[in-house]
Amino acid sequence: MRNFARTDSHTLASYRGASGYAAWQKAQTMEPAALVEEVKKSNLRGLGGAGFPTGMKWSFIPKTHTGPVYLVVNADEGEPGTFKDRYLLERDPHALIEGMLITARAIRSALGFVYIRGEYVQPWRRFSAAVKEAYDAGLLGKGFDVVVHRGAGAYICGEETGLLSSLEGKKGWPKIKPPFPAIKGAFGQPTIVNNVETLCCVPPIIERGAAWFADLGTKTQGGTRMYSVSGRVKKPGVYEESVSITLRQLIERAGGVTGTGRLKAVVPGGGSAAILTADEIDVTMDVDGCRAAGTMIGSAGVIVMDESVSIPEALLVLARFYAHESCGQCTPCRESTGWIEKMVHRIVHGHGRKDDLDTILDVAKRGGGTTICAFYDGAIGPYISYIQKFRGEFEALCRA
Amino acid sequence: MPKVTIDGKEIEVEAGTNLIEAARRLGIEIPHYCYHPGLSIAGQCRLCMVDIEKTPRPTIACNTPAADGMVVQTETDRVKDTRRSIMEFHLINHPLDCPVCDQAGECWLQIYYMKHGLYDPRMTDEKVHKPKAVPLGPHVMLDAERCILCSRCVRFCDEITGTGELGIFSRGDRSEIGLFPGQDLENNYAGNVVDICPVGALTDRDFRFQVRVWYLDATKSICPGCARGCNIDIHVNRKRPHHAGGRRVARLKPRFNDAVNAWWICDVGRYGFDAVDDPERIRFARHGGVDVPLDDALGLLVAALRDHAPDEIAILASPDLSNEDLFALRRLAEQRGIRHIAVRMPPAAGHADDDFLLRADRHPNTRGAETIGLDGDVAAVLARARAGSVKVLWVIQHDLTASGFSPSDVAQALERVGTVIFTGTNENATSTLATLVLPFAAWVERDGTFTNFLGRVQRFRAALQPLGEALAAWDLFSRVLGMLGGTPAGGRAELWFRELARTVPAFAGLSYQSIGDGGAMLAGAPPTTAPEPPGRRAKAPA
Amino acid sequence: MSAPIQFTPAQLAEVRRLQGLYPDKRGALLPVLHMAQDSFGYLSLEAEAYVAGLFDLSPAHVHEVVTFYTLYFQQPKGRHIVAVCHNLSCHLAGAQDLLRHLETRLGIQRGETTEDGRVTLQAVECLCACEAAPMAQVDDRYELNLTAEKVDRILRGLT
Repeated sequence: MRNFARTDSHTLASYRGASGYAAWQKAQTMEPAALVEEVKKSNLRGLGGAGFPTGMKWSFIPKTHTGPVYLVVNADEGEPGTFKDRYLLERDPHALIEGMLITARAIRSALGFVYIRGEYVQPWRRFSAAVKEAYDAGLLGKGFDVVVHRGAGAYICGEETGLLSSLEGKKGWPKIKPPFPAIKGAFGQPTIVNNVETLCCVPPIIERGAAWFADLGTKTQGGTRMYSVSGRVKKPGVYEESVSITLRQLIERAGGVTGTGRLKAVVPGGGSAAILTADEIDVTMDVDGCRAAGTMIGSAGVIVMDESVSIPEALLVLARFYAHESCGQCTPCRESTGWIEKMVHRIVHGHGRKDDLDTILDVAKRGGGTTICAFYDGAIGPYISYIQKFRGEFEALCRA
Repeated sequence: MPKVTIDGKEIEVEAGTNLIEAARRLGIEIPHYCYHPGLSIAGQCRLCMVDIEKTPRPTIACNTPAADGMVVQTETDRVKDTRRSIMEFHLINHPLDCPVCDQAGECWLQIYYMKHGLYDPRMTDEKVHKPKAVPLGPHVMLDAERCILCSRCVRFCDEITGTGELGIFSRGDRSEIGLFPGQDLENNYAGNVVDICPVGALTDRDFRFQVRVWYLDATKSICPGCARGCNIDIHVNRKRPHHAGGRRVARLKPRFNDAVNAWWICDVGRYGFDAVDDPERIRFARHGGVDVPLDDALGLLVAALRDHAPDEIAILASPDLSNEDLFALRRLAEQRGIRHIAVRMPPAAGHADDDFLLRADRHPNTRGAETIGLDGDVAAVLARARAGSVKVLWVIQHDLTASGFSPSDVAQALERVGTVIFTGTNENATSTLATLVLPFAAWVERDGTFTNFLGRVQRFRAALQPLGEALAAWDLFSRVLGMLGGTPAGGRAELWFRELARTVPAFAGLSYQSIGDGGAMLAGAPPTTAPEPPGRRAKAPA
Repeated sequence: MSAPIQFTPAQLAEVRRLQGLYPDKRGALLPVLHMAQDSFGYLSLEAEAYVAGLFDLSPAHVHEVVTFYTLYFQQPKGRHIVAVCHNLSCHLAGAQDLLRHLETRLGIQRGETTEDGRVTLQAVECLCACEAAPMAQVDDRYELNLTAEKVDRILRGLT
């Protein structure tokens, strides 16, 4: 679906040259309810991390609401190992704009916000230029406006309601739910928050039909998606594949394992996904396949580790990340992310005890499901899986 | 109205009632920190989780409105285990300051740990360190390490006072409560954040290190600082007088009354009880500068009233007196035929209604005085005195020079008066000029009622014995009345209230019983509700 | 040097324009703080109070926002920011070696600014360019596939 290889792929001219905005033309002849149905039937699932069925999310907007409805694009890509949205913003911004136009029609929104992480300066400039092109061409500003909004550096603003708080000019503190954003979101109004890539799938779905999209994937998830592959592989980069691909196939597509050449472990779905060992890579890389394997596809950020990688060190990197990025709003996450980092630090530097490992596992388990948002549930993915699956390596570093 | 079942007990509540409130009405306590009924829902502490049928994971009770048919369990093993987890999370970085922390004994970390924690701590790493003993303005002390980041204080400054001084800065376990650097916590309601802080992060500077809270006794009363009559508890230290430098009243705390002050009290009232234990308290009667026995002084007072024509006598009564005091005074005046009684003073400069609770009228019973019929103008009486028409001037409680009259006017007036009698609680510029001085019991030392500016009659109660030979005002007036040949209503404040209710139509039907702990309205006065907090009034919707 | 903390009339017009884009003008706070940081060099307490005034917010609430986000500087920063990612893929590709190399070259620790005010060195979390690890954000650009030599070349270009 992606035409990154086009010259000047980010320009309107290039996009139109590849039949861009034809889907929008078609969508304008369809009723909003029909658009929602089409996306439902396509089995498109959120590609930012949660994997929620997109059409179903759109249908949560209350039918009786007469005030504004907002469409918010989550371009706060921040999950370790993920970089696909950066590519889309820089190389195919009009795909996002077209996706926004169609979605806005489906959910009856007249105002969209694109929240781009603050560090993405070049992508922000590229995307803003594309928005201007779209306004100049009369695509935007005729019933749908787009405001491009830069973040200021906080991973938690990738959480749906943390993003909304930040958009409202506050700290990126996620909101307590209920109410959910479709009922009460940005600025108190019904809001749909969708990931960049999810919206970029909408034009092809409308143009070529839900069945086509659904057939590309698995029974419960349609389409292709862009896998971000990095770490100890020969050809790190973005790979657009059917969601039915297995992790083994994906690693091969990326040229195979470097370093020692022997695979040790793989992070399949961004830093918050439970790690998989070398004999667990025949998992199907769709939402339900990964869930069944005890992990998650999340943002499809694949980090490959060979035998020379120290798993305890890798955990320390992530433990530091979660402690740094915890927003601090609710007690379990705020207090235990910092404590767990201290314990992992101690272990990696040779001052740990074996029962520290049990403490980490117990604390992580106790905090799961108790927090305002899923940040902590993401953090416990690595806390628990790295220690459980590579316990020997941790114990070897412990003193007692 | 939805019917919910909590721990097997059913209750019907108004739509929108959250589960903490519904459980409270059943006598079931769901532990919580960040929830406060007077503030918005934060959902941050995660302690109030309960099991709800058909919900896979425990849910926070504060953010869950009772729904019809909902079945809630608050004591399942899973809920208990969750509470133990949440307690551990709260204590990970909490400093073990109990031995030096004022909150000990009323600290909700202590209380809930004993009830819901009782685990062996396993945190052996260095805790996060934050600023300690940081003054936030004149009344509040912050210890940021002790803070559990429940955000009650931040929400208070946003939603109640509307002043927004407090914030939570930074992220993660480096999050810290604080003021904008360089600013102070200067609103007139700062002390309330100490009440609502569940732990010793925000403590009262006035109360700091005075006395342990388990030595305190509480008595229900009414703040006498202005005409609002906020409901309070007086906390007195009777058990450890050698702590707190002999100060008997340790502190005042607001008492909830949704018809008057909700959960709050202003700083003027909260910290305005200095006079009670001030060294300048009048404890004994004095004549010509020499201490005399009380009975002798009473005799001299009665003689002064008897030996002069009623028109040559003037009484400056005080709106600080209770309904019982004032009614007894009225009877006394009627007995002797004294017509020149004044109560109304010019308002002191700089006193205005604030935008919430504090009234410009800094007296608790102006309305009571008017209703009982004692509302003459003090300025007029002083003018008569200056003109030489007053032979006996009985000043009750007033410090005339502090009340907006010029010292020279007052001096002139008092010079022309033959006998100046002062009865009051504290020495002041006027009492030192009086020939005869008799001691009054302070408001914390006697029973009575005040009528607030909206006509609400509220009971205040004695928490302490009077000092020296001081008498409650109604008691002193009672004895004088008796010595003048009249019939006192009795030896208790309540008996005077009964007599008042029988006599003054506005008080008809009221009794100490009907007034209870929440107060009751004068006849014809419409019921009241606590005013809307300025923080909520100010915000226009987005 | 103490330039006044104040926007020009043109900047104030831009503030109004930004505020008008959002249903609640507070939505423009993050963009305006970026503007203020670009104009005044960093966000001092005075700058925070100034911006608070433009939004009818208490200074404490602006301070909350400034202390929450990592791209806002509360102290003067170098003319250039070199922010090296030290998250997972970059760690696997040698980010720590790169950081140590930079610390030696610049004579400072991560988190500090060179004495001549030229460079602030930071270690930051995932910048989402893992396919080109190790990498850093230098001012507005991503510098990818870094080596010690590349880093030295980049530093030479920073004045």
